[in-house]
Amino acid sequence: MPEKKNIISISHVFAGYSSGKKENDYVLKDISLDIREGSSVSIIGSNGSGKTTLLRVIAGLLRHRGKVLFDQKNIDTMTRKQIAARIALLSQVSHVYFSYNVYDTIMQGRYVHNSFWGDYSRDNKEIVDETIETFGLSQIVDKKITSLSGGQLQKVMLARCIAQRSPVILLDEPMNHLDLKVQAEFMHYLNEWKRNGVAWADGKKYMPTIIGVFHDINIAARMADDVVCLKDGKILLSGEKKEVITSETLCDVFDFDIVSFLRDVWAM
Amino acid sequence: MQNKSMTLLKILAAGLFGLAAILLSICIGSVYINIDDTLGILGNKLFNMRLVDSIDKNMVSILWEVRIPRALTAFFVGGALAVSGLIMQSILQNPLASSYTLGVSSGASLGAAILIVMGVGGTIWGFFLLPFVGFMCGFLTVLIVILIASRIDEGLHNHTIILFGMVFSLFINAILTMISALNQSHMQRLILWQMGTFSGKRWSHVAVISIVTMIVLIITSFFHKELDIISFGDEGAMSIGVNTRKTKIILIVLAAVFTGVSVCFAGVIGFVDLMVPHIVRKIYGYNHRITIPMSMLVGGAFMSLCDLIARVVLAPQDIPVGAITALLGGPFFLLVYFGGRK
Repeated sequence: MPEKKNIISISHVFAGYSSGKKENDYVLKDISLDIREGSSVSIIGSNGSGKTTLLRVIAGLLRHRGKVLFDQKNIDTMTRKQIAARIALLSQVSHVYFSYNVYDTIMQGRYVHNSFWGDYSRDNKEIVDETIETFGLSQIVDKKITSLSGGQLQKVMLARCIAQRSPVILLDEPMNHLDLKVQAEFMHYLNEWKRNGVAWADGKKYMPTIIGVFHDINIAARMADDVVCLKDGKILLSGEKKEVITSETLCDVFDFDIVSFLRDVWAM
Repeated sequence: MQNKSMTLLKILAAGLFGLAAILLSICIGSVYINIDDTLGILGNKLFNMRLVDSIDKNMVSILWEVRIPRALTAFFVGGALAVSGLIMQSILQNPLASSYTLGVSSGASLGAAILIVMGVGGTIWGFFLLPFVGFMCGFLTVLIVILIASRIDEGLHNHTIILFGMVFSLFINAILTMISALNQSHMQRLILWQMGTFSGKRWSHVAVISIVTMIVLIITSFFHKELDIISFGDEGAMSIGVNTRKTKIILIVLAAVFTGVSVCFAGVIGFVDLMVPHIVRKIYGYNHRITIPMSMLVGGAFMSLCDLIARVVLAPQDIPVGAITALLGGPFFLLVYFGGRK
């Protein structure tokens, strides 16, 4: 198999939220990482290790030192529309104030493919309808999003993110609020996309690159080819999941014997 | 598709409501002009139709020179305030935000106060200068707020804008209070200016405010997709592809122009900007493609009715229309907003 090219290259990135310039003020400290096109990557680490911050840097939402390249091009020089056409982000859902209906909400994901003038064009309808069907949302398309349960809302936001049809998909805790059954469905979609690709409006398919942040080790392991372990804002270890996910690494990442903990749960 | 025809019906209803509000406020006043005569005069003026002989020439001039310009000014001011409130609530994702959040009214009042204290207020110069300076100062205040807020906080987050806007607005109000305290003789005129009125509005006023309002309304309408997306939150909007910083600044400036023209034509009228967007969203849903024009229509109709009541209830004395908007709007708002609940 030919070596796939790197779709995202991060080199020596420092990023944080305070204005200080000392090493300790940064949440991410000297992160370098290459992500191959079409691969799926799980980022794991304990609370505050910088998982979400790393996603935000890749999405171009956070100022940073160091370089983030998308397909050799520096993200900092791109406009928001150019970034959004390449990278979609599912943020952790916070409160929604305004109650649009489900259909209009998912249609917003098509923003980047439409001109500033006028409404969403007709070609978007097909993709939105298909996405709604994929996620089994046809029953609730006319409902207001403020009337949905947490899990339904998470599905809608995920559908909006997928409707964007960007080659790189960033998922920040996508399984939050979801039932186990829905989690299983969701993993099924992800695997489906990894195997067969996602269809564009013109019928062409592309292989998405999926980068996810997960609390749940099981999901992280199942969903990804590669795993990146973050600890205190640094990359502890990264590589193929078989090599990375071992009981010693996990103990090290979480400062806690997670493997015997999980074994105890299953033994009960 | 039942949904679509329902929406169409609701839009039609608002159109009729607007038309009825304007017609009512033209017919009713210290002299009642019946609807036939009103339509006759309108037909004569607009389409050059022959005037029926029984219509008094005085009535024609009352209607054409006084009432229609007044009703139309009220309509456009109400619409402008409502749309600017809608913009501010959506981009700041805050249901309590209004067009006055960024200090347009305090800035405009300060400008007017300085002119009045200088003694320009009562002169013929004041007649032209007051609205102009009021508008410029209100607009300048908003620009200062955005400029400093974007310096302090590069991401231009909502809490920065709201907090700084309020602090700056209170600061200007304090200066205003000091000026009023030191110049008691001018205070009455200043208070009158701030309270505002639609009386004495002429066709020249209508021309200015209708043109400005319609232009700003059309520009705002182009941003309906961005407004929808931004109301979900800045970060989500950015990752969908909206340049939130640029979009927010443009929309705040548009809202400031809306509020600025209203303040300089009619003083500081509250409530419409805050409540009409809520009522409109309740009836028409959240899609800005519909809520922008509907806020204009409903806000305008509501203001025309309020002005009608303001000049009729204690005739011949005018009540400040701002008092009516709140007195009438409060219960109406509660009815619409909480009416559906058992």
